[in-house]
This record gives sequence, C-alpha cells and structure tokens, in this order.
Amino acid sequence: MRRKILFLLAGLLLIAGTTAQGQNIAASYKTDIHIVSANDMHAAFENFPQLAAVVDSLRAIDQQTMILAAGDNRTGNPLCDLYEISSFPMVALMNYVGFDATTYGNHEFDGGQYNLARLTNLSNFAYLCANAFADPKFGIQNQPYKFFDVNGVKVCVLGIVQIGSHGRPDTHPKNVEGIRFEPVEETIQKYLYLRDKCDVFILLSHIGYDDDVKMAEKFPQFDLIVGGHSHTQIDGGEIHNGVLITQNVNKLKRITYTTLTVENGKVTAKSAKNIEVEKYPKKNATVQNMVDYFSANPEFKRVLAQVEAPFSTYEELGCLMADAIREESGSDLSFANYGGVRYDEHPVGGFTVNDALRLDPFGNNAIVMNITGEEFRQMIIACFYADEMRFPLISGAKAEVTYTDESKRKIKDVKLFTPDGKKLDLKKIYKVVGNSYATTVSDSPRRDQGEDTNRQTADMLMKYLEKVKKINYQGVTCITHKF
Amino acid sequence: MNVKVNKEEIVIFRGATAKHAILRYILKNRLDTKSVDNITIYDRYGHQIDQDAPLKEGSVITFKFN
Repeated sequence: MRRKILFLLAGLLLIAGTTAQGQNIAASYKTDIHIVSANDMHAAFENFPQLAAVVDSLRAIDQQTMILAAGDNRTGNPLCDLYEISSFPMVALMNYVGFDATTYGNHEFDGGQYNLARLTNLSNFAYLCANAFADPKFGIQNQPYKFFDVNGVKVCVLGIVQIGSHGRPDTHPKNVEGIRFEPVEETIQKYLYLRDKCDVFILLSHIGYDDDVKMAEKFPQFDLIVGGHSHTQIDGGEIHNGVLITQNVNKLKRITYTTLTVENGKVTAKSAKNIEVEKYPKKNATVQNMVDYFSANPEFKRVLAQVEAPFSTYEELGCLMADAIREESGSDLSFANYGGVRYDEHPVGGFTVNDALRLDPFGNNAIVMNITGEEFRQMIIACFYADEMRFPLISGAKAEVTYTDESKRKIKDVKLFTPDGKKLDLKKIYKVVGNSYATTVSDSPRRDQGEDTNRQTADMLMKYLEKVKKINYQGVTCITHKF
Repeated sequence: MNVKVNKEEIVIFRGATAKHAILRYILKNRLDTKSVDNITIYDRYGHQIDQDAPLKEGSVITFKFN
C-alpha cells in the first residue's frame, strides 16, 4: 500500500514538474480540437435556429467545440439594426449559441461608439481586436487576444480588423471618432511572441481573403486564419505557407468546421469542411422562439413624423426621399431613382418606421460625389434611360424636361433651375448625393464617381422625418415635363 | 475606383460591392439589368463570392449567368 502511494505521488510530481517548466499538459498526448467559424453574418438571424441545431449536434460529439465569428456580425437587417439597442438581437443569439469570441468587422462600428460599448458589455463572448484602441470614456470592452483551454490544449486567438484607404475601417467616420487604428501587419508583428505561449495560434481576421493570404505568407507562425470581410467562399480550407485559411460567403449560409490535431504541443494535422446552415434541415426550438420574439419588434410601429396632408403620387414621396438624403448628407443636390420609390400613397397621420422601410426597402447606401452642374445634369439623364424612361426625383434644384414626343421615351433637353427659379450654374462644382443603385446605373462621364458614406438612405429618411416632425408634400413637384 | 469585371475595366464609386460593379458592366454592355439577380460571381482566384462582397481598388471579379 505504501509503495502504491509513493508511486502515485511520484506520478503527480512528474506532471507538476512538466507543467512548471512551461510546457502544456497537451504536450504529452495527441488530441483533436474542433472550431466552428462564421463570418459576415450581417444580422441574418433567421438562420440562427439552424446554426444552433448544427452547434448542438457538433457539441454532442465534442462538448468543447470552439465557436468563433470573424466580424460583421451586424448590419443588413432592419429588425436587428433598429432594435432599441441596435444589434442586440445578434448579441443575444450569439450568447445563447455559445460563441467564444468575435473580432470586429468594419460594420461592428456602425451603431457608434456607445452602442458598441453596450453590446460588448452585454456579450458573453470576447471581442478580440489588436489594432483598435478606443478612448476609455466609451467603455468598450475588447482585448487584443485571449487564451482558451480546449480539451487541455492551450489556444491563443488574436483578433484584427480591416483598415480602409482612409486609415479606418469602412464605416461612417463619425462612428469611429475617438477610436485609433493601427496597420494590420505591424500589429501582428507585435504579437508574434504569443506563438511560444500556446499550442495553437489562431488569427481571427476581418481583413479579406487577399490579405489573409498575404498574412499567411508573412507569418507562418499561425496555425489557422479564420477570415472574413471579402465574403469569399473557400471550399473547406486552403493551406498557404502551412497556414490553414477559412472563410464563407455572407449571411450565415454556411459555416466552417475545422479540426486541428495537436501532438506534443504542436498542430500536426489540420482539415476544414463547410457545413450548410441556411439549408440545414433542423432548427433549435428555443432559438426559433427568440428569433420570433425579435422579429415582432414594436420599434417598427414608432411614429417618426405626422403627415399633415395625404401623399398621392410617387413624385411627392420621391421628393421627400430626395430632400431627406440631401439634408442628412449636407449636400447641395440629390436625386432618387423613380423605381426606388415603392408606393405612391400615404394618408394623413403617423409616418412610422415601417412606412419608411417600405418606401425605401433596398438597403441602399448614400453615395456622395463632387461634380459640376453639367455632370449632374448628364447623370440624371443617364438615370432616366437606366430606369425604364422615368425621370429621377431631385432636391436642391428643379428640372424642366423636354421630350421628343408625348411618349416621353426620349429626352430632347433638360434645364436645371435653383429652387428660387434662377438657372443652375452648370460649371460650378456641387456636393451631390444619390443612393448606391441610382448612382451605379447613372453611367455618365463625371470627374468624381463618389464615395460610399456607409449610411443607408432609409436610415437618413428616418432621421430626417424625426427632425422635421411634420410633413406636407401635397402638390410638391420637382420636374416639369414638356414636349 | 477601378475594378475589372469579366476582364473589362469598370470605374465605380469607392466602397462599391460586387453587385454595383456588375450592374455597371451590364449597362455598359447593354444587357438586361434584371439579370443581375441570376448570376454567380467569382474572385480572381475562382472562389465564389456573394453580391454584397466589398470591392477595393484593383479588384478583379468575373461572373456568369446561371
């Protein structure tokens, strides 16, 4: 008996000694760890019941399956974006499913600094981002990396976010005031020391496939790059310079299931496969109930402004839309394609959030450009021909359109006037705003193709209505038609 | 910004997605704009990408009708 106790003690000391030398317990045996990864979910919470069912089945096989999100969890679904705490439904669902960590995508900033702070404080999972530094006054909770113990394997996940051409992630600049960003490559360089402190080193990245490959070529220290941002469908995973890279298209159509075999503290085998989520045949009932609850959002019934006289034409409602994006973007001129105005009547009474989203349901962003009056004139003519011979609604100017005949299918001339009736200076450069669809299809020569403001036109309409409180567009017109 | 769609140079606003660039291509080539909803898009390496995929200066994409 005494010999048995001594033998047991010797064994325990051996294990303790090994641990004290800084080696991990996993070093002494071979084990698999599993990672579920999603990217660019863009608030597609309608696919969460299926995701939860997939995760349920995978965790039945391996209870410690990690779940990671590579950013852009939010933005793209008004039910989520317009929630009282913008994007809270996604956080609640990610909490329930048991996500371990996310990195920031550029759209994580879309709700502004204080909204992000609330979300990070309500999340049970970690926000990992090594190249974003927020002013502490916001109270945003994030960290550059985190260690996880997965089946006795020490996993380190380092997070990184995309930096656009302006030195910040692609979101409205106001959303990231007070947040400093540092270049991706230099940031990763600073954290390479983590390689020696873990068995598995993962980069949770929202920089896009091209840059993921570049990082893999430069930094073979990573075992795995879980990528996002470019919405790239990788078939399982790709090995670049020994680093496994994964990513899927957006809106939770698929996830990636990665298996890493760890032996003597090193990854000795890695594989990844895609799992269909959108088409998965099972749903988690509790998560479905949560989705149903979030879908019945009372916010949609909120009144934004009072309609004092009824709207009865597409033009009246289109003029409202054009006024809204011009005012909200601080532009001189704006235009809205006729086909983008989705109804032509609204009675006296409350104009609700739902009314605004029905009027402008396409999720278009506002594009701002600096162009001459003549370039604006050419652009709205191009818009007419691209939009089934319907003249766009404009704000900041009035148009007199002369057609070749009564069929109104060919324009002879367009004259533009200021709101007080003077001729618009066609040589002057104006700040012009249009929605992303109209700007795209209006293919005419111009000095500036413009830039995405990362603000949705529907959101601008709602903000405008809240400001003006009362609207009366009865009889309002911005175009005179002549033959 | 400049991107390439089916080997053709397209000039489009900064921040455009794959769908915007393809719409421009479709208009330039006098194709039906409604056909944009029935296409499959690929990046320069042949990976499938979705219509909302963000593009950047120099992006190269191809698409085919389904």
